[in-house]
Amino acid sequence: MTPFLRLALVVILTFGGLAQAAPKKTAKKAAEPVIKAAPVATRPVVAVADRAAIWHTWTDKEGRKVDAQFCGLSGEFITIQTRDGRTYHFKTDILVPEDVVFARQCLDRSRTNSFSREIIASAAADIDRLVDAVLKANQQARNAPATDEEFLRRIYLDAAGRIPTAKEADAFLASAAPDKRAKLIDDLVFSPGYSMQMFNWMADLLRVKDTFGKGIPAFTFEDWLKTRLAANTPWDKMVFEMVTADGRLCDNGATGFMLFDAEMPLDGVSNLMTTFLGTNMACAQCHDHPLADWTQKDFYQMAAFFGATDGKDEGVLREIQRVAKADSAVNKAAVRKIAEMNAFRLEDGKKQALTLPKDYKYKDGKPGDPVAPALIAWAKADKSLPAYNVSAKDPAALRDEFARWLTSPQNPRFATNIANRIWKKAFGLGVIEPINDIDDLSQASSPELLAHLTFIMKAAKFDLREVQRVIYNSQTYQGQASPTPDLGKAKYLFNGPIVRRLTAEQAWDSLVVTAVGTYADNVLLRRGDDMKVMALPAGKVTMAEVRNAIDRTKKAFAGSGKAAGGKKASGGSTLGLANGYEGDKPVTRFSLLLARASELPQPSAETHFLRLWGQGDRLLADSATNDGSVPQVLQMMNGSVGRLVSDTRAEAVMAAEAAKTPEAQVRSLYLSFLARRPTAAELTAATRSLGEGLAVTDLAWVLANTREFLFIR
Amino acid sequence: MNLPLSADLLRHPEDRRRFLEKCAKFAFGLSVLPAFARLAEAAEQKSAVKATNAGLPGFGKAKHVIFLQLNGGMSHIDTFDPKAGPNKGPGDIVSAKGDMQLTSYLSETAKVSDKITVIRSMTAKVGVHASAAYLMRTGFEQRGSIQHPTLGAWAQHFLGSSHKTLPSSVAVNRSSNHGNGWFPAAYSPLPILNPEDGLLDTKSPVGEAVVGKRAALLAQLDAGFGGKAADENVKAYNEFYETTFQLMKSTDLKAFDLSAEPAATRARYGKSKFGQGCLLARRLVENGVRFVEVAHGGWDMHASLDDRMEDVGGDFDRVFATLIQDLAAKGLLDSTLVVVATEFGRTARLEGGGRGHHPLVFSTVLAGAGVRRGYVHGASDAKGYAPATEGVSPGSLHATIAHAAGLPVQTEIMTPAGRPMEIGNRAKPQLGVFS
Repeated sequence: MTPFLRLALVVILTFGGLAQAAPKKTAKKAAEPVIKAAPVATRPVVAVADRAAIWHTWTDKEGRKVDAQFCGLSGEFITIQTRDGRTYHFKTDILVPEDVVFARQCLDRSRTNSFSREIIASAAADIDRLVDAVLKANQQARNAPATDEEFLRRIYLDAAGRIPTAKEADAFLASAAPDKRAKLIDDLVFSPGYSMQMFNWMADLLRVKDTFGKGIPAFTFEDWLKTRLAANTPWDKMVFEMVTADGRLCDNGATGFMLFDAEMPLDGVSNLMTTFLGTNMACAQCHDHPLADWTQKDFYQMAAFFGATDGKDEGVLREIQRVAKADSAVNKAAVRKIAEMNAFRLEDGKKQALTLPKDYKYKDGKPGDPVAPALIAWAKADKSLPAYNVSAKDPAALRDEFARWLTSPQNPRFATNIANRIWKKAFGLGVIEPINDIDDLSQASSPELLAHLTFIMKAAKFDLREVQRVIYNSQTYQGQASPTPDLGKAKYLFNGPIVRRLTAEQAWDSLVVTAVGTYADNVLLRRGDDMKVMALPAGKVTMAEVRNAIDRTKKAFAGSGKAAGGKKASGGSTLGLANGYEGDKPVTRFSLLLARASELPQPSAETHFLRLWGQGDRLLADSATNDGSVPQVLQMMNGSVGRLVSDTRAEAVMAAEAAKTPEAQVRSLYLSFLARRPTAAELTAATRSLGEGLAVTDLAWVLANTREFLFIR
Repeated sequence: MNLPLSADLLRHPEDRRRFLEKCAKFAFGLSVLPAFARLAEAAEQKSAVKATNAGLPGFGKAKHVIFLQLNGGMSHIDTFDPKAGPNKGPGDIVSAKGDMQLTSYLSETAKVSDKITVIRSMTAKVGVHASAAYLMRTGFEQRGSIQHPTLGAWAQHFLGSSHKTLPSSVAVNRSSNHGNGWFPAAYSPLPILNPEDGLLDTKSPVGEAVVGKRAALLAQLDAGFGGKAADENVKAYNEFYETTFQLMKSTDLKAFDLSAEPAATRARYGKSKFGQGCLLARRLVENGVRFVEVAHGGWDMHASLDDRMEDVGGDFDRVFATLIQDLAAKGLLDSTLVVVATEFGRTARLEGGGRGHHPLVFSTVLAGAGVRRGYVHGASDAKGYAPATEGVSPGSLHATIAHAAGLPVQTEIMTPAGRPMEIGNRAKPQLGVFS
């Protein structure tokens, strides 16, 4: 049996068949001016329920008990979810010892549920064979294997989102175990940093933002995403949940993705198609696509699946304003906020009301004509796939029908889109580029490789951790990095990963680790529950309840804004930062809040290191860049960040200071910043400088400012 | 958009060439796209964009643009378009220089109004602050699937960088909000949130001797990775560090330093953030920066309009008049276009001591470069409710500014995603405002 088939077979045996049963939604009544109960309370969370759920009564050291489901264990942190859908994160040390052991067993169970090393190795070898064949056909060869030092830094940045500490680097480099690379990969994809870097990566794709529209806080969406990542929910389940989510944003964070475009639903459809399918339909929104095959009719037929969906409850909005009018003493701005928050929800009505636009100019329809939902296809044969068998009968179920097609393994682009994106994450370049326009698969640098990655994605049932384990274990990934290819001259056939500048988040998280070590891995920001206090209870709207909500909000967000430091600039809500941290509180130095990028405002303020280095504004998907600028360098050399790395309190500096000889100090700093040992020449030069007027702090500054620090090779 | 690898730029050779034309290689913010920069150079040699509007009145006179944005929505009736009758505001109507009428809130502006053009027939459909501000700043209505650039970014695309080391666009008293749109992130205006602080982090916290030693050691230790065989992107960062070290030693950064201005000048502009921001704008323009935005808040006058026109309007009035006089005195007004833009106008009827949002008609101002002096362009009706002459859209205002700045208007370019776009969303420039 080929390893190929073996993988597929094991997958099917382990996880069941490929057919997926998505939960049915029931039709809902039209909008009424009353608040409806939170849907999450009545509907079990799809993703978690789908995997073998582990329910347990957890007991803390003071004897308090809570019945909740195990979601994930990340370092010292446990995530659990109670039956009402709320999630909690805390350090395991508050639990009784038996429960800590139990939590570890839960984690081991999820680790044993993952692919065995043999399967991973075999799937990785398949990638290598495929890449080799393509390279050989083009008279090229794979790059030489990366050194342990190169691999170490690369895998930490890719899988855990930061560079290793000196101690971590030393442990790996000193190890003589033959399987130490595979072992490190497995350790890192189960470390706290894994979820954090996945959050950053997805936040750019899903446009995760602290505030939507007119400043409505959207922290529940962030919490939802973090919880799903902690539970390693498969991508198809996450997407299904986001696209079909119901209810208020304050109750159900999963609504965040769709509500982002609540004011502009047509743009929302176009964005959704790009994000999940890599289909470029933005042009077809207003006219037939000039370069691709999509027509405006195609676009409207797809948009019709969302024609019964409403993002704003005008009834509740009016009702709250009406009861508040009678109360002259209440703060009108506060009322408006509560009203907006409670009206911000997703709901499907009884009628699908989309019509062709006023300026429709094609022969296949007239302006104002109703549009019937219909799915696009990339090839004629697509439409005969069972996934295309959707019903458009019940308007209230249209979104579910669409989502079933969207997330089906049979969807012609869904698996390929995410597989290509995950590949780019590891290699710096997609097999097909641009990654947000993959309609024409023949444009791929290697269509065979793309097809194989798609296969792996489906075989792993969209488990992104497993797919990344496969990729990281390939010799192709573990080869030396290639310089940035000139795609104008030739296709890049993946001789190895390419040299990449650290993403803004990787750079920041790495600087944070040199400053406070692994401490920041256990600083978690969760502000969703604070936001929930703005929700009015189900039932009739009364002024007393509105006032209660205002008071609760005031209390929950008391002291906000001070914690973040720095000046006000576009992006990043400081709301709730003061008390949003669970577990350890972040250290503040030079007005910088030293938490990992995923645990800071989303996105950060415009003048923050993260934004300066290219963190996206999240208004559009894939808005992050790795462009350079002089202000970046100024901040790194002279600004707060330059001071941070060269501060006597910095972990990397203190570790070096503790070393006995200047040579040992230099070695320690090289491990801290570059995850390697210095060459003889470097050691001599750096040691000499320590004797000639430069201190350990200066050397730290120098290493942080090397290009080597900024790049992954 | 991940620039080093934007293969989408490379997909259609024709689009690529057009997009990369005049793509400046070295800007204040250098875009890391060496592979493309080479293409751009090649493209540049072959064809320069020919502006069909070149040679028409006013073309290319504005080497610099100072774009003042009055946030909240300036009431046209209480400023540049006074009305008698029932809709008259609390201010008096005064005859100003240049044969135009203004309100008494603009007494200083009245002294320089022989140097300005007022457009009284501005019209738009957007009455929501953020969306209207976006429209006025970019010339496009806000969409959820694309970000549009500001004129500074358009200019950098067509004309290249305006200075060897200084940025081509600066945003004062406001964030840049990715004003680069679909252009490289390096085209985004440099935000200066506080004019008094100027550009941050230009001085090292350690002494000069240590800076020198650090720099020497850095060069030595980084020679292996950043050396000759380095990746193109690594080399780009090498150049960056080089530029930054030079910049720190050079006098160019003085452009950001308000303390270098005489005390009398600083006092004339007033202590407000807007005043110091406009002074900074003048300094930047004087030193070769092409496009400077300065934001001024507080114009959302739903109530207490009289008081707030005194405060907010008064601050604007003094600063604006000072800026025009100062530019004229320095001989910069002939090459600098000053724009007063806002979000929308305000309702004709006074209600509760203030006015609501009213995009149907409002006023903007142009001054300097080749623009007519002491001129009123277009008119609103007697009530100040709607345009009485053909309306001027924000897109048309953008096309007008672009024309003055020597940019090709009504010329299509292709975005990296393959969408054809024109400055001001295909609107025509108002050629009548040029002398």
